[in-house]
Amino acid sequence: MDDAQVVATLVRRCVAGDAAAWEDIVRRLNRRIYNICYRFTGSGDDAQDLTQEVFVKIYRTLGSFDVEKGSFITWVTAVTRNLLVDHFRKTKQDRVTDSLDNTGAEDEDLLPLSEQLADNGPSPDVRVHRRETQEMVQQALQKLSPELREAVILRDLQDMDYKEIALALKVPEGTVKSRINRGRVELARLLSRTYRQVM
Amino acid sequence: MQGEFQNGFKCADFDALLAEAIDGTLTGTQLMRFEAHRESCAQCSLLFTQARAGYEWLEALPEVEPPVALVKQILAATQETARAETVARHARQSWTERIRELLSAKVRPVFAAVAQPRFAMSFGMAFFSVTLMLNVTGVRLTSLKHVDLRPSSLVRGYYETTGRLVKYYENIRFVYEIETRVRELKRAATPEEKPSGTDKQQDRKEQNRGNDREKKYENYSREDSQPYLATTGNGLQDVLAAVRRWS
Repeated sequence: MDDAQVVATLVRRCVAGDAAAWEDIVRRLNRRIYNICYRFTGSGDDAQDLTQEVFVKIYRTLGSFDVEKGSFITWVTAVTRNLLVDHFRKTKQDRVTDSLDNTGAEDEDLLPLSEQLADNGPSPDVRVHRRETQEMVQQALQKLSPELREAVILRDLQDMDYKEIALALKVPEGTVKSRINRGRVELARLLSRTYRQVM
Repeated sequence: MQGEFQNGFKCADFDALLAEAIDGTLTGTQLMRFEAHRESCAQCSLLFTQARAGYEWLEALPEVEPPVALVKQILAATQETARAETVARHARQSWTERIRELLSAKVRPVFAAVAQPRFAMSFGMAFFSVTLMLNVTGVRLTSLKHVDLRPSSLVRGYYETTGRLVKYYENIRFVYEIETRVRELKRAATPEEKPSGTDKQQDRKEQNRGNDREKKYENYSREDSQPYLATTGNGLQDVLAAVRRWS
């Protein structure tokens, strides 16, 4: 039985009122949803709140999930995306269009503890450089428009195929490809500009 | 024509295949035409380079570790949601709907068993038997009071009923004995005549009738008219007065 079938069985059990099945779904999907939220918002706290909100929404509307219309993962991704877009609209006024020079202190604890403590990895210089690069990319990602950002996150970070992304975003597949291309190009331009400033 | 190059491959075609080219999924003729266009079009070549760079930058982003308490928080939040929804649903319901829901949950399994035809038939038979027994014993459910169901009342009722029955039978016997005596006295008081042939036959019939009556008295059964006869005080007094007169 593949992962999709296991999840579909869990969903059926959950709709029938099985609490253990719901817990299993949460354990399987929380990492994925948290990552989407984190990469979209760039904030650990926001990602945590939004992940919780996504699961509450899923729990409430689980009965409306139609297996004929796509996989559960695609449906969950669509729910997540809709909440992220809502969050983006709500926080638009409060958002500060800061420069890429800002360093995200909260990103310090994003790496697994084992990776942080491991001595046999790359040298401290390399690790610092890598972290700085990641922070820059994350901040550049925040500069993209929500349409381009969600497309590149789902394709390049969540490894979804174009068809699944098209279903989740409710746009044609050609539009998805176009957004991914534009998102990648825009990100590269932003980062090359920043790199030039840093150098 | 701007944007169109050899082989009819346009920049728009290049753009459409760009994502697949970066993914490395382009093959055969499509790949060859794409590569040919990239080499001949500076704009598209730059686009490819930038898209490729953006893809590589994103590859540098690792998967982040969610907070340890996240799962517990999610489960707590969903439980709270479920509880709140239940409370809200109950608040929307009227009290009759709530009672109906409660009863349906409790009664449905019992009713499902009771609704079986076999059970209904047995229940009907039992009801019929009980009703019959109550009618035979003269018990009326409408006249039952709480006090009647006390053990002391039941015992008293038993003795009263037994007493009434004994009295009833004794009264019946007494009346028949008196009637027999009256008939004997009547016969004794009548002057003896020589019986003719027809008289003899009549006497025999009378005697047989008397024997039948005696048998009937011995084997009498309870009839509706007898309790009235047995309990009628005036009837008994009339008989006694008649006995006195005859004697």
